Amino acid sequence: MTKDYQGDDMIVAKKVNKIYPNGCHALKDVSATVNRGEVVVIVGPSGSGKSTFLRTLNQLETVSSGSVHIDGTDMYAKDTNINSLREEVGMVFQNFNLFPHKTALGNVMLAPLKVAKRPKQQVEDEAKALMLKVGLADRMANYPSHLSGGQQQRVAIARALAMQPNIMLFDEPTSALDPEMVGEVLDVMKGLAADGMTMVVVTHEMGFAREVADRVLFMEDGELLVEESPENFFDNPSHPRLKQFLSMVL
Amino acid sequence: MQTQASKILWNGVFVAILLSLCGLIYLSGEKIDYNWNWQRVVPYIVNNEAASVAAPQDGSITSNAAGHLQLVSDAGDLLVDLTDYENITVYEGDLVFEGDQLASSEQWRIGPLTQGLIVTIKISLFSLVFAILLGLVIGLMRIADNPALRKLAITYIEIIRGTPLLVQIFIVYFFIGTVFDLERFTAGVIALSVFTAAYVAEIIRAGIQSIPKGQMEAARSLGMNYPQAMVNVILPQAFKRTLPPMAGQFINLIKDSSLVSVISITDLTKAGREVVSGSFAPFEVWFTVALLYLVLTSSLSWAIQRLEKRLAASD
Ligand SMILES: Nc1ncnc2c1ncn2[C@@H]1O[C@H](COP(=O)(O)OP(=O)(O)OP(=O)(O)O)[C@@H](O)[C@H]1O
Ligand SMILES: [Mg+2]
Repeated sequence: MTKDYQGDDMIVAKKVNKIYPNGCHALKDVSATVNRGEVVVIVGPSGSGKSTFLRTLNQLETVSSGSVHIDGTDMYAKDTNINSLREEVGMVFQNFNLFPHKTALGNVMLAPLKVAKRPKQQVEDEAKALMLKVGLADRMANYPSHLSGGQQQRVAIARALAMQPNIMLFDEPTSALDPEMVGEVLDVMKGLAADGMTMVVVTHEMGFAREVADRVLFMEDGELLVEESPENFFDNPSHPRLKQFLSMVL
Repeated sequence: MQTQASKILWNGVFVAILLSLCGLIYLSGEKIDYNWNWQRVVPYIVNNEAASVAAPQDGSITSNAAGHLQLVSDAGDLLVDLTDYENITVYEGDLVFEGDQLASSEQWRIGPLTQGLIVTIKISLFSLVFAILLGLVIGLMRIADNPALRKLAITYIEIIRGTPLLVQIFIVYFFIGTVFDLERFTAGVIALSVFTAAYVAEIIRAGIQSIPKGQMEAARSLGMNYPQAMVNVILPQAFKRTLPPMAGQFINLIKDSSLVSVISITDLTKAGREVVSGSFAPFEVWFTVALLYLVLTSSLSWAIQRLEKRLAASD
């Protein structure tokens, strides 16, 4: 893999368009840059293309046109190995997507063992340290079906971190949780942000956005309409569509 | 809700119905002019007829260091050690010729029915392994993005499922078997595995497609390539879900293996047919054959149920 440039731009998306096979135009000329250590929150109404955009950042969806660079590497260059690029980009899903046939610790250890092929003992030690970090040191032997939603999502975060990514993507990580479990997951994410992790978070948690985000993006109908600091975003919204959206969710 | 008492009652009814069915079968067996004799079947399962040992080539009888008799060839090589035989019919110093009887002994030997059972087990086991491997390949091709692979798999499945197994056995044996000079047994295994693989492929395809899409996405997002994600994430889960239909398919395989008797493989069914003509006990023999098949299929389904229970740990 060749790096086109060296710099602090961890994610550079340029004029990304996504048209699904059924003709749905989900992303329209979306351009965005995320710097090293930045936390960017994306908000917007349902169906606005937030998930689609996030998923183009690790190529779970391929773009129809435009380009994506991850840490200087062109995702669509011929000599780019998408699997090794994905090791740099962890993802956390709305529905956790834990592997039900593995214990919590087994979930965390699987990719380091099978993909990175690191030595077993080292992987196990690191996985245990990650479980401790997300506050689940006492749940390592549990299968996902024996964990609460909040616990499952924290295991999913530990699993993504186990590949030692430089970037973490979160797609509505708390939307499937009971209200009393939202806090424990957000706390783990705040800890990550404080450690300097580069993060892109799609969420409806406006409090989290205001507190943790360096920038907030607003999407509607596949377009990126607003890109602002949280203060301006929430306190002085300029775009009429954003005003309307905020009046509905706040 | 069922109370304890009514449960016992209905279990009693079940046993009563079963017993009266057995009684009916017994009565109808009495009514026809047939002399039931289960004893006659036993020698076809195991027997202890005297077995004799003959000289494989010319030689002479000598005694070894321990004082036991043995047959030594003219060149001085040891041919047969008679230590373990009871009724030795030769003496030290005898000259014997090829084919001469040396000794006989009463020992337990398996009869033709048991030999047929072993052939059935062997052919089923071989076919099972190949059917799983082939079925997995076809099943994965069936869900591939590549249209050539997918259509090949569909064509295979349609052809195999659309023609009778008996016809396939004849085609494999007479056509493919002649072209490639196959043994009967090999031809039988090929026909059975090719047939079963078509069904296994469909079971595996359904199993894989029943796994939520998010599992593949999570695996890929961790940097696994497609084969790694399949092997480590999708197939282990699909395997668990496919166990019940697989069990049914494997039981079918054991029963279908009886069809290979048409190409003169002496499996349990063919052994049954041969024994019937010599034993004058057709009813007993066929009931015994049925029972042996039942033992095979029920041990298989018991083993798979055990496996299912063990895999249920993560539920
Ligand atoms: N696999 C797909 N095939 C076809 N259309 C899709 C697919 N996934 C999403 N879409 C469409 O693309 C548009 C954007 O969807 P997307 O899931 O990105 O929205 P979202 O902003 O994440 O919404 P939500 O807040 O409900 O998650 C929607 O109109 C949706 O119907
Ligand atoms: Mg979404």
